[in-house]
Amino acid sequence: MLSEDTDLSNQQPIHVGVLFSETGVTAPIERTQLSGTLLAIDEVNAAGGIDGREVIPVCHDPHSDPMQYGTLAERLIVTNNVNVIFGCYMSSSRKAVLPVVEKWNRLLFYPTIYEGFEFSNNVIYTGAAPNQNSVQLADFMTLNFGSRVYLVGSNYIYPIESNRIMMDLVRQRNGEKVAERYLPLTAGHKEFESVVSDIRNRRPDFIFSTVVGESTQYLYRAYAEAGLNPKEMPIASLTTCEAEIRAMGAEYAAGHYTAAPYFQSVDSDTNRRVLDLYAKFMDGEVVTNMCWEAAYFQVHLFANAMRQSGTDQVEALLPHLLGAEFLAPQGRVRIDPATHHTCLYPRIGRANSKGQFTIVREAQRPVHPDPYLVTYSLGDWTTQIDTLDL
Amino acid sequence: MRGTSTRSTPELLKDLRSLRVAVFHPRDNDGEQLIRQLQRIGCQVQAFWPPSVELNEPFDVAFLAVNPETITLDLPWIKGEDAPIRVAVVNYENPTIVDGMLRLGASAVIATPIRSFGVLSTLILARQLAGDLRLQRKRVAKLESKLQSIRKITDAKSVLMNSRKISEEDAYAVIRDQAMVKRVTVEEIATAIVNANEILSMVGVNPKS
Repeated sequence: MLSEDTDLSNQQPIHVGVLFSETGVTAPIERTQLSGTLLAIDEVNAAGGIDGREVIPVCHDPHSDPMQYGTLAERLIVTNNVNVIFGCYMSSSRKAVLPVVEKWNRLLFYPTIYEGFEFSNNVIYTGAAPNQNSVQLADFMTLNFGSRVYLVGSNYIYPIESNRIMMDLVRQRNGEKVAERYLPLTAGHKEFESVVSDIRNRRPDFIFSTVVGESTQYLYRAYAEAGLNPKEMPIASLTTCEAEIRAMGAEYAAGHYTAAPYFQSVDSDTNRRVLDLYAKFMDGEVVTNMCWEAAYFQVHLFANAMRQSGTDQVEALLPHLLGAEFLAPQGRVRIDPATHHTCLYPRIGRANSKGQFTIVREAQRPVHPDPYLVTYSLGDWTTQIDTLDL
Repeated sequence: MRGTSTRSTPELLKDLRSLRVAVFHPRDNDGEQLIRQLQRIGCQVQAFWPPSVELNEPFDVAFLAVNPETITLDLPWIKGEDAPIRVAVVNYENPTIVDGMLRLGASAVIATPIRSFGVLSTLILARQLAGDLRLQRKRVAKLESKLQSIRKITDAKSVLMNSRKISEEDAYAVIRDQAMVKRVTVEEIATAIVNANEILSMVGVNPKS
């Protein structure tokens, strides 16, 4: 989709790898990361590419299977000769790609929230670390609803570590854990019905969900069908975003809360401009989310860095990436040189009847990433807080 | 066993940010990687190279490169109860280097090239093992002294039982009462009785001698 007056054909193109699942359990969210990536690449090319060189995405579909991510990353490097890969959603997929990019000394851009405690010289992390979403969510939920919490998550590392952090925070408000349940990624309606009936019997102050992927909709649906009221006992999540809401239907998500650095409803000129661009790119109505946004802005961070380095070799790129800033839809983000993570803007959104989030709390300044933080404290998000709209 | 069922965060993880860590490693890529990763974890890191024989301030943990420059050094600060816990950083595994690592009294080892991944686990495990060992040593010392004290009291009781023709219970009561009157420990009285008995036996107060 190059604009006609831009001719990039007489320069050698730059091939970049793209690894998001278009099939399998996490496909709904990863498809949005894929289109965020392709949108940004299209935008870069329409503006003349990187110094006149067209960026060509080489996309493979790992089918939501961690092993496939490792295999396909290697194929991208060895067969497709790419130096830079944009990709991965679940931690298990990132862990599969990590040794590959380290072995070949390539660069992975990872646009997803995760549990922290990782650094690799070969990765740039553009999603939120726990100090950029968990702290704010725990603070908000305990202040507004109480501190008896029911934990439910998918059975992998992110939910387990997120729950540890949540309980550390909740205990600072003398809270207690009502239950801690993990379900397989493939769990269906029946499994969630049983969880929700347990929730109804035990009446926590709120439910903390780290359920990811397609099964997210079953939790919210089972909750609604059980007649529970989000005004009294809402679900709080770090992962339920606009994409999951679209899959389940807006009426099921309405009234529940999510913490994220970006919602489609962010009120900024940049967000409006990029949403317009995206609507044209997709040729229709669009729904975005935090992972889409990170996937989008990280391509621009790469393109800007490569304009300065002139090459996509990791050693040449890094000096121009570390400390780099970009005016993203969520606000001006910056890559922290020490951790390779990104300074982001924590927000709390309440899902509304349109399948969007009404932002009820918002950081005015970016929060620095601290991926190795063990002990969190509540109430220090070093930011001004918007008036609550409860 | 340490319980994990409650899933509260272990203390060893909680105090990482106040941990004082010394790094004795050449200023090369591995040294830089190690220092940066320790800083990311949030430890208070100080780098020393060439390694100092004296440490002017206390450290909780020391990472030491074990190489030809360090194995010949005599580092007095690695000895003693409050010495920093040592983690060896090795780039060879020949007997000379392994021996150097053992002589450091290392609680853990990391190999070069340094990767950021693994430093945290090594640090935590070294502290747990060294902490456990320190605790066990203290317990053993305490038990040894307790055992010695029991032996002393038993000896003293036999002396009293023989010389005064009293029961074991009464013998103990005598010792305990004396300890209370003189405001000293039971063990000290027992020691005094045993010593006195030895002297009296030597000077031949025994009428039969």
